[in-house]
Amino acid sequence: MSQIMNMNLYSRGDKAFVYINMFLVALFTISTLYPFIYVASLSMSMGEAVTSGQVVLTPVQITFAAYEKVIFDSAFWISYRNTFIYTIGGTLTSLAFIVPCAYALSRPQLLGRKYWNIMIAFTMWFNAGMIPFFLNMRDLGLLDSYLGIIIGFACNAFNIILLRNFFEAVPPSFEEAARMDGANDFQVLWKVFIPLAKPAIATVTLFCIVSRWNGFFWAMVLLRDESKVPLQVYLRQMITQLSDDDTFSSSLLEAAYSFETVSAAIMVCSIIPVLLIYPFVQKYFNKGIMLGGVKE
Amino acid sequence: MENEQSYQVINESPRSKKLTWLIHHFQREWRLYIMLAPTLIWFILFLYKPMYGLQIAFKDYSVFKGITDSPWIGLEHFYTLFENDQFIRAIKNTVIISGASLLFGFPVPIILALMFNEIINPKFKKTAQTIVYLPHFISAVIIAGIVITAFAPSTGVVNLLLNALGYDSVYFLTKPEWFRTIFVGTGIWQEAGFNSIVFLASIAGVNPSLYESAVVDGASRWQMMWKITLPCIMPTILIMLIIRIGNILEVGFEMIIMLYQPATYATSDVISTFIYRQGLQAAQYDLAAAAGLFNAVIAFVLVIAANTISKKVSRTSLW
Amino acid sequence: MSGVKLEGVVKSYKDVTVVHGIDLEVKSKEFVVLVGPSGCGKSTTLRMLAGLEEISDGQVSIDDKVVNHIAPKDRDVAMVFQNYALYPHLSVAENIAFGLRIRKVPKPRIEELVKEVAHTLELTSLLERRPADLSGGQRQRVAMGRAIVRHPKVFLFDEPLSNLDAKLRTQMRAEIKQLHTKLGVTSVYVTHDQVEAMTLADRIVVMSDGRIEQIGTPMELFNNPINTFVATFIGSPPMNLISTTITSIDGLVYADISGNKCLLPQLENPCDLEVIIGIRPEYVDIVPVDNSSAVPIHVDLVETLGSEALLHCRIQESAFVVKVDTHGKVEHLKHLDTLYFRQDAITVFDKTTGRALSRSSVGCNA
Ligand SMILES: Nc1ncnc2c1ncn2[C@@H]1O[C@H](COP(=O)(O)OP(=O)(O)OP(=O)(O)O)[C@@H](O)[C@H]1O
Ligand SMILES: [Mg+2]
Repeated sequence: MSQIMNMNLYSRGDKAFVYINMFLVALFTISTLYPFIYVASLSMSMGEAVTSGQVVLTPVQITFAAYEKVIFDSAFWISYRNTFIYTIGGTLTSLAFIVPCAYALSRPQLLGRKYWNIMIAFTMWFNAGMIPFFLNMRDLGLLDSYLGIIIGFACNAFNIILLRNFFEAVPPSFEEAARMDGANDFQVLWKVFIPLAKPAIATVTLFCIVSRWNGFFWAMVLLRDESKVPLQVYLRQMITQLSDDDTFSSSLLEAAYSFETVSAAIMVCSIIPVLLIYPFVQKYFNKGIMLGGVKE
Repeated sequence: MENEQSYQVINESPRSKKLTWLIHHFQREWRLYIMLAPTLIWFILFLYKPMYGLQIAFKDYSVFKGITDSPWIGLEHFYTLFENDQFIRAIKNTVIISGASLLFGFPVPIILALMFNEIINPKFKKTAQTIVYLPHFISAVIIAGIVITAFAPSTGVVNLLLNALGYDSVYFLTKPEWFRTIFVGTGIWQEAGFNSIVFLASIAGVNPSLYESAVVDGASRWQMMWKITLPCIMPTILIMLIIRIGNILEVGFEMIIMLYQPATYATSDVISTFIYRQGLQAAQYDLAAAAGLFNAVIAFVLVIAANTISKKVSRTSLW
Repeated sequence: MSGVKLEGVVKSYKDVTVVHGIDLEVKSKEFVVLVGPSGCGKSTTLRMLAGLEEISDGQVSIDDKVVNHIAPKDRDVAMVFQNYALYPHLSVAENIAFGLRIRKVPKPRIEELVKEVAHTLELTSLLERRPADLSGGQRQRVAMGRAIVRHPKVFLFDEPLSNLDAKLRTQMRAEIKQLHTKLGVTSVYVTHDQVEAMTLADRIVVMSDGRIEQIGTPMELFNNPINTFVATFIGSPPMNLISTTITSIDGLVYADISGNKCLLPQLENPCDLEVIIGIRPEYVDIVPVDNSSAVPIHVDLVETLGSEALLHCRIQESAFVVKVDTHGKVEHLKHLDTLYFRQDAITVFDKTTGRALSRSSVGCNA
């Protein structure tokens, strides 16, 4: 909207409107932020203070005992490492599948292009569901393995279509110029299209990373071996214990940490990497999401 | 010499001409097919092969006999399902939870987008947007963890507030009457910001001269929001609404698995959690697959219908 | 020697044929310009030459080698695109070097070549910039640099100047011409701007509807257009056309214009015919000269260009434009009522086919 920047030009009613609006947005923003602050405060408070219900906004009796407890817990580190393996391995695998495929699908000279596109888009509308997918993974021997998690969730139609739409929007003369310069399809993709599609690829990468980092359901279902479990599954075990039983915390009442503070600390540890990459990719996804959303 | 050659080319039958064309095509473009193949194979192996496996919904599946060799039993699983109160309840809960999310959750991102649009200070706008998009990227486990912590009976902030106001503590997560409220509210809190992106983009596409002429005509900002912005993004709103209705069977079941417990099944058990319990926890694969198939077919019909309608709408709304 | 040859080249998309059998030979070092109205198949022809578009029938050869099924990269041709297609993520130097890198030319050699090209095109100070930070003319030069750095056998240009403003276009046109003189590389240039075609070309190919109408040097096309299409397409303002009938009296051929008998050049087989006669605006006189016939006119409008003026008049109800020298005065032009057509400046076309009727004696442009 064409914004008039100078507030002095506004009528009194408009000024009031602008300020009230700003206040409401601020309120919404704060209410979005509050739960995170609450959890962070819990994680840094004395266990006793938490169990006796003193922590509401800021930490009470600041201590890092909960973090110490987490740091010396080997199960935490194993699951943390596993999450990194799944996230990095999974994202790279996804990109290795998705990017070349989206490029190929975007080329008009590809034979059967329409049919391949339908084949991929169809899976967005219909899928076999949880049980057949699980049985299939079992039949492929991918239960309880790193590979199963990494390969089994490598592609999804939405990301492919998002990227394909972006590639389609690149003017054809870029490909043609590169071809005249002697580039083959691999080189055209690598040296021209990938650099040009940075926003879209960043968006897809972000989606992959986030879904890998956050994914817990299938990891919970497919992995039995404790040593392969990712952070979210480990965290879930902690949290469900927490919700199931109030007695755990009372037994720890005297300690510097409580069950609440420890699980809060793990949550914080799990959120931090997301927070770290978030600003870098954030600027891309407005554009990227629109690209994917509009067509088909 | 050369003439002879060109004669040969002309005399080629259309079929062999097509063949030579194909050969040349693959000589030139084989790399494209190399790029396409892995993903297509992946789709066949991980998404289409399970569709073949869906046949167990009509079979008495036995792990030892495998999918193909298990005996057919027709629609028996479906009869069983529809005699099962839990399944009926799950359908009902799915529709209620989804419907409530739609009813209360759908307007919020629109309002949010309109409000963002009225913010003049770009820095404030950017910061606020960055913050409200964030929960979308946080895992269901953590969101559920936060909910569980915040609603905990003796230590959670919600009950502390209730106590401070003189009420007794409520163990919210064991109360079926509270489940839907908590679930829908959490969903709005988590997704409203992110869902506003679509509407913001639509607002950005409104022709600025409309506002300029409105300013000249002396319209207030409130009026411009109602008379210009909202009507201009109406097509987007309509399309998003149709798409949401089409996806009504989709509920964030990861979150439900985290938050529900037997005490709240009456209101919290949805189709996907039902399938999860029957299939993956109780190993009744065939019955659960039948429930899944039922769900998938209905969802497919709804989505296709929604898509067709939204295409019509977006075409007519152009004029 | 690197010539280009198209023989019976056809391009069809599914059922529509957009190029109907083109025969064209471009000699080594020649600068050939394809002109024609929008959609007539110029770009398609050029792209078939480049290998970006497959040919449906016929044969394309470069250097006497048939390249029908050879990939663009192996044809050793370079192309300058209308939108330049400069890679936005690469600097000017990297853009120019791109093709060499792909071809695995050794690094020091690449640097040397890039420097050389940058020098030729006066881009040396811009080498580190990104395309986004260049002006339109500079971008155009980078696009040219990318083409010439590889020393290809053939240059292809697809409307390379159409994104520039009028002044820059004139300047770049001159630069392209100079560059061609300097490098002497066979060039095929597509444009829909006939001025560009006239100034740049050794030979012009006029196309319409996927067919070649005429091939010839700029002056050949100007003076002896083969049909009314070429006659009106080449030259600005275009050739005036008047429908009329001819009669031959005593071996001389006359056209009937507004009741006057107008002497025409000698035709091969003159008989009573419906014809169209064409007269270039530049070849009309406002004072009587030898061998000319007077035609009455009415002047509607005088457009003053400075040293010249355009008279918009009417002859037999059809519009007629005359270009005259003003010699500093325009007032008297409004009141002209007679024009004089020189016999040898008139081209006669068959009314039904639109083709020029051949002359029996020596042409007018001698
Ligand atoms: N993929 C296609 N399918 C069908 N017809 C096409 C296709 N590409 C081009 N054409 C048609 O081929 C004809 C020639 O196109 P071409 O681009 O060669 O025109 P042009 O002479 O370069 O015109 P301009 O001056 O506008 O660039 C046009 O009528 C166009 O509509
Ligand atoms: Mg063109």
